[in-house]
Amino acid sequence: MKYDICIVGSGAGAGPIIYELSKAGFKVLVLEKGPWLKTSDFTKDEMTATRRDAYVPNLKDERHVVVRKNAQGEWKAKNTADGGGDMWNGSCVGGSSNFMSAYFHRLKPKDFRLKSEYGAIEGANIVDWPITYDELEPYYAKVEKVIGVSGKVVPHKHQEPRSTPDYPHPPLTTNIVADWFVEGGKKEGFNITPAARGIISEPREKRGACYHSNYCGSFGCSSDAKASSRAALINDALETGNCEIRPNSKVFKLETNDQKEITNVWYYDFDDQKVSVSAKRYVIAAQAVETARLMLMSTGPAFPNGLANSNGLVGKNLLFAGGGAGSGYIRYDSLSDVDRKKLDVPLTFVNQTLLDFYEIEDDSFNGKAKGGTIDFLIEHSNPMPKAMRSKYKDGTLLYGSALKENLKDYFTNQKRVRYEVFCDWLPNDDCFVSLDNEVKDKWGDPVGRVKVGSHDRNVKVGNYLAERAEKVLKNVGAIDIRRGISSRPPTNLMAGGCRFGDDPNTSVLDKNCRAHEVKNLYVTDGSFMPTGGSVPYTFTIYANSFRVAEKIIEDLRKK
Amino acid sequence: MNKNKKQTKHKIPDALQDIEAWELNRRKFLKGALLAGAMTQIGFFMSCTPELKKGNDILSAEQATILDDILLILFPNDGNGPSANDINAFGYIMWVLHDELNRQPEDNEYIIEGLDWMNEQSESFFEKKFVELQPKEKEELVAEIVQLKWGKNWTSMMITLLYEALLLDPIYGGNTNEVGWKWLNHVPGYPRPTEELRYERIMEKQMKIKQT
Repeated sequence: MKYDICIVGSGAGAGPIIYELSKAGFKVLVLEKGPWLKTSDFTKDEMTATRRDAYVPNLKDERHVVVRKNAQGEWKAKNTADGGGDMWNGSCVGGSSNFMSAYFHRLKPKDFRLKSEYGAIEGANIVDWPITYDELEPYYAKVEKVIGVSGKVVPHKHQEPRSTPDYPHPPLTTNIVADWFVEGGKKEGFNITPAARGIISEPREKRGACYHSNYCGSFGCSSDAKASSRAALINDALETGNCEIRPNSKVFKLETNDQKEITNVWYYDFDDQKVSVSAKRYVIAAQAVETARLMLMSTGPAFPNGLANSNGLVGKNLLFAGGGAGSGYIRYDSLSDVDRKKLDVPLTFVNQTLLDFYEIEDDSFNGKAKGGTIDFLIEHSNPMPKAMRSKYKDGTLLYGSALKENLKDYFTNQKRVRYEVFCDWLPNDDCFVSLDNEVKDKWGDPVGRVKVGSHDRNVKVGNYLAERAEKVLKNVGAIDIRRGISSRPPTNLMAGGCRFGDDPNTSVLDKNCRAHEVKNLYVTDGSFMPTGGSVPYTFTIYANSFRVAEKIIEDLRKK
Repeated sequence: MNKNKKQTKHKIPDALQDIEAWELNRRKFLKGALLAGAMTQIGFFMSCTPELKKGNDILSAEQATILDDILLILFPNDGNGPSANDINAFGYIMWVLHDELNRQPEDNEYIIEGLDWMNEQSESFFEKKFVELQPKEKEELVAEIVQLKWGKNWTSMMITLLYEALLLDPIYGGNTNEVGWKWLNHVPGYPRPTEELRYERIMEKQMKIKQT
């Protein structure tokens, strides 16, 4: 056997495994379905990144079926090839971590014991995690050090305990509006503090510092400042000589024997030929939806319902992020010349966060309840989304000179300021992944069918947070404030589907993210999370993957 | 203006009830798609727009005229920034129609169908073909169609294409001399795409299409 470990996927869940095992001297094989795009392949081309979505599979070839509840309360299935959004976030070496915004908030200790802290909620499958914050904390610290995180620790009401005093890199330069947000918060008695980013503010080794292209989220990074799995971990792993990456390799089955062990992995290569490969251990980290889909597709005599799925829980309790976003406009004519010039500089980082309401104490929630995170931002630089917002005025489609006037005004007389709120997407019986019975991908395999039921609480908490965020927006002079809190899932933030736990009857993975039923299988993307907390997932996925990497090394070293 | 204007059934317009014409249109579209690879290499749509406006492998001369006129009504030469012509919107849309890697190829068919519907609507409103209308009548026609459901959808899509021609990198044929960015004081992101890194090259890698 040539390989010690075979890893399906190369994003944030895979990167730490690839890095740690390669460095420890194990032979690592990575099967990545997408192409191997290098740093020099990334540009700030909206056509590639967002208009034609060339960093994700073409929907003609690979799609999903999404089942949503319509306004009449009926569940309706839609093939994503027919338009209306999809579930892909980045198909290339490094996965969607290449395109993340990299807001690196840690989970808080109470997130690990949500049920014990706040009690059950009807219609939500809330459980405590099998590990504590203290068990994960060293790995958050490790992520900060190994991949590089920029920020500044400023104490706040829900500050999580830290083993290190501060982040390894100073905060990134921000737009003046960051200071205005802090002041705007003070007027309400809110303590707005700096947000850490997985983007380095100073050069380190082979990676350059952030050069503020202002095209960050959705775009690949051209200085490697953004801590993608590819730039921050895989490139180092390759230098050990122990890591082999096979791009354009779409895994479609993990085969098992009667002893419930994986014997080999099957994938389609660049020429769509079926190829088999074996290793001592296997890791799936293909992002929540595709991880569950692959496991459900991997049937065999020992697993007629899918790999490690005897209890029927693979794909269940899928998570997105609750909440949403809102925005308003600061008109330049409301500012002094000095302030206008400061605001109008091409610098779009704000990196300010309000965590005062990570826990809510309010009668409308019958006392204490779980709240969430509010991030403050300004509009990204890429012009197409701005232009699209100027198409309509008072609900009327503009054209001709009126359209051009509105467009010019949008770009030159104002700045759109934004907030995003993140709250728990409560796990529930109507949010899960299964295999579609009819729709196939280009290889003839069943596509993932994703039901995206949202618990009412998500919207209630989202609105509670949005109300607070909007007070701050008003205090910085924003007008025409609009809110977009809804039950629609943000498909770039997904987790769950293979929850970890101590009880094999109620979870798919054990506390070390090894499948209860399959001794040589680990799942290390966000799928393990039984609840998601109220922050974006990538930082926690990285941290957990570093934790699990140690367990896999121990496992492989056992005689 | 014809007072007895009718509301067209927009799901299957009369022009498309002629299945032969529809098939012909479709064949033209597919033929064009096959040529796309070679054409994008030589900046065909940037340099040959005047010829393309006379009719081409996808659009008939009549359709090309309708497209050209509509684009200038939607994005006119009014002294406030560039016009549709200044950003080579026609040439850009020809590139779009030739883009065989487009995720939603039916959108391309919809663009062409809309041109035929404009003609049909013109005959309905004015009892003459679009190309026979006076400039003022063409503007009246657009004002009418944006009130209709199909017209609003189609116009919205055409405005999106105009925005792409105005704001995407000039490498795709629009935004001539970065005139769109300059008008809106927009600072582009760097690095910008090159011929080797334009979207088709990345999408070919994504779709496992062997590059020549």
